[in-house]
Amino acid sequence: MSVLFRSRQQGAQQVKISGMRRFLMFWVHHIQQCIGSLGELARYPFASLMTMAVLGLSLTLPATLYVIVKNTDDVGANWQQASEITLFLRQQLTQQEVQTFSKRTELAEEVEAVRLIDKEQGLAEFRQRSGFGEALDTLSSNPLPNVLIVIPREGFRTPAAAEALVRKFSEQREVEQARLDLGWLQRFQAIVNLVRDGFLALALLLCVAVILIVGNTIRLNISSKRDEIMVMKLVGATDAYIQRPFLYTGVWYGLVGGIITWLATGALLWWLSGAVRDIADLYDSEFRLTGLNLTEMAVVWGIAIGLGLVGSYIAVRKHVSAIEPR
Amino acid sequence: MIKFEQVSKVYPGGFQALKNVSFHIEPGEMAFLTGHSGAGKSTVLKLISMMERPTAGRVMINGHDLKRIERKQIAYARRDIGMIFQDHRLLMDRTVFDNVALPLMIEGYSLAEARKRVQAALEKVGLGDKVRHYPQMLSGGEQQRVGIARAVVNKPPLLLADEPTGNLDPKLSGEIIKLFEDFNRVGVSVLIATHDLGLIARLRYRTLNLKEGRMINDGLTEEAL
Repeated sequence: MSVLFRSRQQGAQQVKISGMRRFLMFWVHHIQQCIGSLGELARYPFASLMTMAVLGLSLTLPATLYVIVKNTDDVGANWQQASEITLFLRQQLTQQEVQTFSKRTELAEEVEAVRLIDKEQGLAEFRQRSGFGEALDTLSSNPLPNVLIVIPREGFRTPAAAEALVRKFSEQREVEQARLDLGWLQRFQAIVNLVRDGFLALALLLCVAVILIVGNTIRLNISSKRDEIMVMKLVGATDAYIQRPFLYTGVWYGLVGGIITWLATGALLWWLSGAVRDIADLYDSEFRLTGLNLTEMAVVWGIAIGLGLVGSYIAVRKHVSAIEPR
Repeated sequence: MIKFEQVSKVYPGGFQALKNVSFHIEPGEMAFLTGHSGAGKSTVLKLISMMERPTAGRVMINGHDLKRIERKQIAYARRDIGMIFQDHRLLMDRTVFDNVALPLMIEGYSLAEARKRVQAALEKVGLGDKVRHYPQMLSGGEQQRVGIARAVVNKPPLLLADEPTGNLDPKLSGEIIKLFEDFNRVGVSVLIATHDLGLIARLRYRTLNLKEGRMINDGLTEEAL
C-alpha cells in the first residue's frame, strides 16, 4: 500500500500477482532470508562456530547435571522400594516367644512379609561370611540376637511411613532395637536434592549467559552492517524486514549449538560411564547411566533454539531501530 | 507535489539549517536546488525523505503532511521516493543486480519479476551488460548510474538527487542529467540538489536558490520574465 500516493499501485499489486502467490512469496522470501543468513554465517565459519560452541557447551553442563539427577532419582526410587525393617529381638526370649512374635508381626496390616533369622542360623551365616569362624569357637554362648526382618506393605514403604512403623515396633516388649536403614537414604536424597537445586540454578544462570552472549554477537553483526542497514532503510525496508536475517542467525546459532550440546553431553556421559560402572559393580548393582532420550534431546534442542532467538531478538529490538539513515 | 510551508530546521546543538523556507514544486516538474555547501540543500532533501523532521512549519508530499506519517509508515512512504546520493551508497559486497533489486525484494517481488525490472532499469541507464559485476569493478560514473537504476527500479513518482554529478566530469554529468530528463518526460517529479552552476546554466529548468538557510529565489520570478 502506498502511503503518499493513494492511486499508485505498488509492487506486487501492480504486477497483478494473486493473493495466494503473494502469500507464497512471503514464505519464499522468509526461506531466502533464512538461507541467506546461513550463507552469511558460512562467510565467517570460525567466528560462527565459536558462538555456536559457546552456546552448545554452556548448555552441556546443565544437560549433563540433568542426566545425573535423573539417574540418581531412578536409583533412589529403587532403593526406597526395597526398604526393609530389621528387628533385633531380646536375648531372654524363648524359642516359643520368638515364633509367636514372628506370627503376630506377620499378621499386622502394615506388613507384607517377615523373615526370621534365628540366632543359630545367624551364627552359621556369620561364621561362613566373616572369616572369624575360629574366633567364634572360643565363645561359650551365642552372642547374636534373633533377628526378624520385616518387609512393609506397598503403602508403608515411604521413608516417613516406614519410620512410623519402626517406632511402633520398637515399643514392643520383645524388641530390643528396631532399625530402618533410612539415615543414609535420607542423606542420599538430600545430596540428590542439592544437585537438583544446583542444576536448576546453574541452568538458569547459563541460559541467561547464553542469551547475553548471543545478543552481544548479534549486536556486533548489526553494527558491522550499519551502512547496509542504512541503505536498506533509505530504499524503504521496514525494521521487521531488516531484523529477520539477524533473527534467523540467532536460530541457526541455537540449531547448531543444540547439536553440539547433544554431542558434548553424550561424550561427557561416555567419559563418566566407566567410573559409574565401577561404582555400581562395587555395590553389586546392575545400574548403568542412561543418557538423554529422544524427548529430552528435542527439549534441549528447543531450548537452544529458543535461547538463540531470544538473544538475537533482544539485540535486534534495541539496535536495528536505533540505526537511522543520515 | 512537494510543498514547504514556512519550514525551519534547527539541529540539536543549535545550528539553524533552514529559516522559514516555503516553496512548491508541481507534479511532473523538474527543478534544481542550489546554494553553497551548508546553505541547507541537504536538509531540504532530508526533510522530504523523512530522515529529519522539521522544527517548525509543514512539509507536504502529494497533499500528505509528513508530520502525520508515523514512524512505522516511513519505510512504506520512502518506497514512493527514489533517492540518489553523491556517494551513491551502493552495497559494495553485492552484485549490481542485488543492489538494483534491493527495493523490489523489500517490496516482495518474485525473483522472475525482479529480474525483468532490474534488467529494464539497467538498460535504461546503459548498464544492461553489467548485471553480474560488483560495484568496485565499475567507474565512478557507472556506479552513479547503478544508484540511479536502483532509485527508479520500482518506478517512484518522485526522484530526489543529492549532488548526483558531484564527482563526475562535465560530459558524464550531462549524461546523468539527460537520464533525469528522460524520467521527467514520463511524468516523474525530479528535484536535484547541486552546486554545479555551470550545469544548470546550460539547462532551462526552474532553479531554487538557498543561502544560509533562506530561500533567496524560488525560481518562479525568473521564469515569469
